[in-house]
Amino acid sequence: MSPLSNESAIKKVCVIGAGTMGAGIAAQVANAGVPVLLLDIVPRDGANRNAIAEGAVAKMLKTEPAPFMSKSAAKLVETGNIEDHLDKIAECDWVVEAVIERLDIKQGLYAKIEAVKREGTAVSSNTSTIPLGQLVEGRSDAFRRDFLITHFFNPPRYMRLLEIVTGPETDAGVAAKVERFADVAMGKTVVKANDTPGFIANRIGTYWIQLGLNAAFDMGITVELADAIAGKPMGVPKTGIFGLVDLVGIDLMPHLQASLTSTLAKDDPYHAIARSHPLIEKMIGEGYTGRKGKGGFYRLNKEMGRRKETVDLATGEYRETVRAAGPSGAAGKGDLRKLVETKGKVGEYAWAVLGGTLAYAAGLVPSAAGDVVAIDDAMKLGYNWKAGPFEMIDKLGAAWLAARLEAEGQPVPEILKLAGDRTFYRVENGKRQFLGLDGEYRDIVRPEGVLRLEDIKLASKPLLKNGSAALWDVGDGVVALEFTGKMNALDGDVMKLIVEAIGLVKAQYKALVIYNDADSFSAGANLGLALFALNIAAWSEIEKLVAGGQMAYKGLKYAPFPVVGAPAGLAVGGGCEILLHCDAVQAHAELYTGLVECGVGLIPGWGGNGEMLDRWQNNKMMPKGPMPAVAKVFETVSTASVSRSAAQAKEMLFLRPDDAITMNRDRLLYDAKQKALSLVEGYTPPEPPHFRLPGESGRVALGMAADGFHKQGKATDYDLVVSDALANVLSGGEADLVDTVSEQELLKLERETFMRLVREPRSIARVEHMLETGKPLRN
Amino acid sequence: MQVYEAPLRDMRFVIHELHQDDGFGEIEALSEFTPDLVDAVLEEAAKVATEVLLPLNRSGDIEGCTLENGVVRTPKGFKEAYDMFREGGWCALASDPEWGGQGLPETVNKMTEEMICSANLSFSLYPGLTHGATTAIEGYASDELKQFYLPKMVSGDWSGTMCLTEPHCGTDLGMLRTKAVPQDDGSYLVSGSKIFISAGEHDLTENIVHLVLARLPDAPEGVKGISLFLVPKYLPKEDGTPGPSNGVSVAAIEHKMGLKASATCQLNFDGSTGWLVGKPHKGMEAMFTMMNTERVSVGVQGLGVGEAAYQSAVYYAKERLQGRSLSGVKNPGGPADPIIVHPDVRRMLMIMRANNEGCRALGGWVSRALDAERHASDPEVKQRASDFIALMTPVVKALFTDLGYENANLAVQVYGGHGFISESGVEQYVRDGRIAMIYEGTNGIQALDLVGRKLPAHMGRNLRSFFHPVSRFIEANKADGQFKPMIEGLEKAFGALQLSTATIAQKGMKDPEEAGAAATDYLRLMGLVAMGYCFAKSALIARDRLATGTEDAAFYKAKLATAQFFFDRILPQATTAFLAIKAGKASMMALDEAAF
Repeated sequence: MSPLSNESAIKKVCVIGAGTMGAGIAAQVANAGVPVLLLDIVPRDGANRNAIAEGAVAKMLKTEPAPFMSKSAAKLVETGNIEDHLDKIAECDWVVEAVIERLDIKQGLYAKIEAVKREGTAVSSNTSTIPLGQLVEGRSDAFRRDFLITHFFNPPRYMRLLEIVTGPETDAGVAAKVERFADVAMGKTVVKANDTPGFIANRIGTYWIQLGLNAAFDMGITVELADAIAGKPMGVPKTGIFGLVDLVGIDLMPHLQASLTSTLAKDDPYHAIARSHPLIEKMIGEGYTGRKGKGGFYRLNKEMGRRKETVDLATGEYRETVRAAGPSGAAGKGDLRKLVETKGKVGEYAWAVLGGTLAYAAGLVPSAAGDVVAIDDAMKLGYNWKAGPFEMIDKLGAAWLAARLEAEGQPVPEILKLAGDRTFYRVENGKRQFLGLDGEYRDIVRPEGVLRLEDIKLASKPLLKNGSAALWDVGDGVVALEFTGKMNALDGDVMKLIVEAIGLVKAQYKALVIYNDADSFSAGANLGLALFALNIAAWSEIEKLVAGGQMAYKGLKYAPFPVVGAPAGLAVGGGCEILLHCDAVQAHAELYTGLVECGVGLIPGWGGNGEMLDRWQNNKMMPKGPMPAVAKVFETVSTASVSRSAAQAKEMLFLRPDDAITMNRDRLLYDAKQKALSLVEGYTPPEPPHFRLPGESGRVALGMAADGFHKQGKATDYDLVVSDALANVLSGGEADLVDTVSEQELLKLERETFMRLVREPRSIARVEHMLETGKPLRN
Repeated sequence: MQVYEAPLRDMRFVIHELHQDDGFGEIEALSEFTPDLVDAVLEEAAKVATEVLLPLNRSGDIEGCTLENGVVRTPKGFKEAYDMFREGGWCALASDPEWGGQGLPETVNKMTEEMICSANLSFSLYPGLTHGATTAIEGYASDELKQFYLPKMVSGDWSGTMCLTEPHCGTDLGMLRTKAVPQDDGSYLVSGSKIFISAGEHDLTENIVHLVLARLPDAPEGVKGISLFLVPKYLPKEDGTPGPSNGVSVAAIEHKMGLKASATCQLNFDGSTGWLVGKPHKGMEAMFTMMNTERVSVGVQGLGVGEAAYQSAVYYAKERLQGRSLSGVKNPGGPADPIIVHPDVRRMLMIMRANNEGCRALGGWVSRALDAERHASDPEVKQRASDFIALMTPVVKALFTDLGYENANLAVQVYGGHGFISESGVEQYVRDGRIAMIYEGTNGIQALDLVGRKLPAHMGRNLRSFFHPVSRFIEANKADGQFKPMIEGLEKAFGALQLSTATIAQKGMKDPEEAGAAATDYLRLMGLVAMGYCFAKSALIARDRLATGTEDAAFYKAKLATAQFFFDRILPQATTAFLAIKAGKASMMALDEAAF
């Protein structure tokens, strides 16, 4: 299952400490298809000595968002306790320690580990605060060679950042082994940090949060306004600072503060801003610790009809949340200079938070990180900032920032002086470069096996391009089809470009990959456009779009060259159907795919019905006869089911059993390209399928199943209408068991049924509701 | 000569026959208004219009309003006519029974409005503005204000105004300066100057209730800082009778192109006591509620003028003897044939007729929606009705007033030189009807409202309420042998409208100036399609009635002919509008300002 399981030096992992982090790390190892031993202490009471680790796994199976990508992954976790099972460490190639942040406990545990581990088995700590040097005190040289810090972020499955810290004695080979496993098998982006307190992300993040809290109290601005400034306008998540503190837990703040103040050097600027606020202490004392507690800076007051409330920083009392008028115009849309130069409190607050944070971050190179790229990667991947500190400084202008700091009598970080009026990043000869500590620019080098479309786009021009899609030469005779619309929505332009691309690849290239760098592969057909067309009764245009999509997708399927889909994130509706038409899929592990059309009162219209029928009819697990496959597809599509991972997409046959999964997002395009090239030799397009379908009797049977759901209250009146339309297509309409239905006939039936449904007012209401609220309408 | 007889037959056709299948359904709450009752109301309204109001139209125009010592006098006979009108309950016709109104359906009320406007447009403004003001008070004022003011206003004892415009700001109300200062007792002192206030001062009612837009001391700049205040001319006493004067004075009355019997005043508010209507800084919302209601009524003004102009022209075309028919003498006993025999005169008369019938039919449809919005029990129907009203309000306002003005001009043309002489009475229609294209938002603003707000809202949801019925109608009747060319004509115009809509939605998103450049043509295109749809429906109904036999054969035959004329001679303008929209803004915006 794992792309690494055969070649990797790490074939089994042990995680000690089954708290949220340890259990989550274990789950992600299992997600990679690698067996993992999860150990914790023996509980003081109770007969089951493995209760803690077992409880952690059981809890994870119910947690949302799910730590496990599949049920089979959960089976790879073996549970135990450190008293009875520590010797099993001998079977493991990597031991991750994720126990409580107490030096004595960790040191005691390492002594025990050292007694049972094999030489060369890596041991790493998930500590976020304790220096490596202290951790290995008292350990042998051999242990020190195998030891490093691997600092994961919560939740480990979903947060891509992994900070790795090695000590002076850490063996390079051991570190490389862990790094490669974390990268390729666990899908993490490794950022190398120095052994300094808080490493990179939390050091800057804590500073940023502290500045934000201080400034809000000092300037007397509301929580809402603070978050409306230090949120989206700064390119950080819209939760802002107070919202983020609510999320991670207000009570965590004093711990972080204590840890950093005790470990950071005396001259670190953090000491000057580390303050406790009486209101925050009071809130923690009374149990208002954020979302996990009775409420935080924000809360929903259920006694007041789920009223949204916010703490008034002056009085400490809750009051109704008021939407703040944050920065407007360019200042609200990412123009940082405009933002910090905005007159009044908005600009003052923005400058206090952003100016201070950027100056602090700029001071951390080279002490905490080797280069500016590491700092930026850490903040983008660990705190979900759109741009890292140095990318933000480029937006402000390094010289401008230095001048302003100087004017305010603040120290100017050395690296700003080094940059002068240059930027930290530039593009030279189609290559992205960063400013090195020697004042020279150097190329950003991607690791082996990492190919990014953004790099290719810098260095070349598209082969084809229109408003919704583009085609790029990704080398070695492979081209990549990129969607470019909002949410990568699919429309007539995409279909047009597909048809053109097929012609071009046929003539000049070997294979086609369908890929984009975005978080969401595609949200499907452009519903907004569709709704507008529906509203103006442009039926013939809609039918053209349906027929055009069917033709384009079948064109991909029967093209005389291999087509490989390379999706990541969301791929639903038409975004799923295009994958169903590919010869193979190389999917990112985080793939959320499905045919969701029924949710908006429609059915798949771009050939998805036939492709799914074909897959299930040819699935060896299926009982004989036409009905089981039809029923299976009906169940999946009528409920608009979406996979929670690529592994699950395989179970649902949105992916074929032999489709491949890439764990690291950055490696997806490279892997897909290799996959495509592997199919080139001797490639022959598939034969069109013929379907044996049950016809009317099948439709009735499916209808009875749907009625059952309706009676249980699980399906609405209109669900029955939609599912009947789906049943009509899947059962072949007027088909008879003795005949076969051709692919083209099924497409025609799909199209006609779609066009009938699309005119229904309740379908239109569903589409409209989805667009207006982002949620399905259950009419 | 000003000739007018209420077109009751066509009104009944629109109310009872044309829109029965429009999807808004029968409205239970209005079931007491049986066809007999409705027809009786229409007949009574026709009498008031022709017997009371029409005779004052020309005399009122000649005499105009006068201002002496701060008192405005309406022309001779107006006070008596207003009293008769009020006592007859006509002021309260469409108002809510809760406040003493009669709750008449809008489908009927809009027809009575049309009659009043045909008979005497100046007069129509006095009760019309009161009605608008009551709508805003009903929707936004406190219960206390409602209890106190609404019964008096609904009965017509007190009248109302809308005070928006100031010397330096008309369309752009964000710039307005009138101030309101809060007092300890919860009232406000309102100070400032307002201009162009219709019915701002007059001698018809014992008190006048002004609705005034003003700024509170802490108001944000622009339109988000405007509040609405109720400011009476006389502060009412406890018992509800008018008390002391409230510092509202008339600085002048305007000398205007037309509408001379309606007093258009400059008002000064000098620390006048007022009360907040709705929430602070939310005055525009309340004002727009009133404005939207009023805009449909202004459209009806256009139709009213257009109908009166048409009838006056027909009268003259039959009377006036000049030349001989091209197809042979028609009036052998006379020195010449009546000019109605001439094709070009027919052209003008048919255009006027088609304009009137098309607008009346469309107005009837919108009125059905107004009733459904207020009274329907199904929330989906209510929503669809609201969407349709939102979409059609700018169309009705601009299209009807444009066409009413076109009719008035054509009437002058039919009269020839005599039309240019005041005594003929028809030039008054040109002058009176002209303002309807301007006030309550110029027709250019209506077009912008249509393309900028109504079209894109909710990804085109408003459009659905209109496009879907038209699309369904075309599909259902495409195969009709007899009317195939007519339905195809409608289909072609509808296609042009669909394409234009998609183009504007696409281009206008990227470049608002493109939407602005297309706006007026687009509004006309939508109006043409809407009228075409109504005419095609009318034609099908007329054919059915004629086929099954009817006493009214003449009416239905005329309806068929008018519909055919519309499709032959007017609907092709849809192509012109479409081509203009397609051309985009380039040549429109090409010149530098200096080149003008």
